[in-house]
Amino acid sequence: MRKVLFYVPLVAFLALTLFLLSGLFSDPRERESASLNKALPDFALADLMQPKKIWTPEKLKGETYLLNVWGTWCPTCNAELGYLAELRKQGVKIVGLYYELPRDPTFDAPFNLAVLQQDVQQKLTQQGDPYQFNMLDIKRSLSLDLGVSGAPETFIIDANGIVRAHHIGDINPVVWRSKLAPLYQQWRTP
Amino acid sequence: MRLLSLFALFCWVLFSSVNAYSQEVLQFDNEQQRQLYQQLTAELRCPQCQNQNIADSHAVVSVDMRGKTYQLIREGKSRQQILDYMINRYGDFVHYIPPVNRYTLWLWLLPLLVLLALLVTGIVRRSRQTIGSDAAVQPTSEAELDQLIARYRSKKP
Repeated sequence: MRKVLFYVPLVAFLALTLFLLSGLFSDPRERESASLNKALPDFALADLMQPKKIWTPEKLKGETYLLNVWGTWCPTCNAELGYLAELRKQGVKIVGLYYELPRDPTFDAPFNLAVLQQDVQQKLTQQGDPYQFNMLDIKRSLSLDLGVSGAPETFIIDANGIVRAHHIGDINPVVWRSKLAPLYQQWRTP
Repeated sequence: MRLLSLFALFCWVLFSSVNAYSQEVLQFDNEQQRQLYQQLTAELRCPQCQNQNIADSHAVVSVDMRGKTYQLIREGKSRQQILDYMINRYGDFVHYIPPVNRYTLWLWLLPLLVLLALLVTGIVRRSRQTIGSDAAVQPTSEAELDQLIARYRSKKP
């Protein structure tokens, strides 16, 4: 009994050290997504480039694709455009969800679609265009329903419109190979 | 006089700029709704920032969640309905009061278990000690002790 008790502080110390050490290398932004394995929430969003075209969950069914939340105002999103464009060349279908920022009536110019379209066009020409098309989430309503906390975020949506993966942060070759590619392959072939 | 007008101008510039920064005042149907709004925005956690509630945060997602909370309150939704709405979208992470489930149960159970373990160890040690001291005294008779003392004394010069 004595001998066992003698080692208790040492074991407790080691356990605490391991616990804190694992905290050092964990990502504080990583959290469980609440939208996994649920159907896409209901929405009707206009196409960014052809505003007369309205996208609904029904129209997006039929093929597994990546839903990439982005904006030209977001540097990390711009940085990942090039790699995403490469993925598109490899046959990955990517749909953009344009995350428009709220405007302060005192400081910002009112929303202007033509200016935004031009801005987006310029960015995509510069960095590469990974998108089949973009949906404009002007009030960020679909983003809120999907549990988006910022940009960039990426979802994998399967052919039946079910959310299968939710990635917070950018997509780079490492993230794609280790995390998203296996999931994409898994849900592409039902 | 000139100084006074300068001061007036200064005040005007100061307060007009304060006006420009101040946010719009939210209108509620009653005091209850206003309190619910303040309570909820203090309890809901910004999913983008580390450890800030949405009342305290300027992140876009916090602004949107505040707006949604306000809208739902005006629609007459209850506190639980609004919490469920947010937890449905952002997970348990978004509420500062964690639910009791099989993962979080340890938060309440562990301190109790540690306390219990300490109590049991304390009781066991105490009872061992009294038994141990009895055992040490009993077999040594008075005579043996006298002998030992005598031997010890005889060694001394």
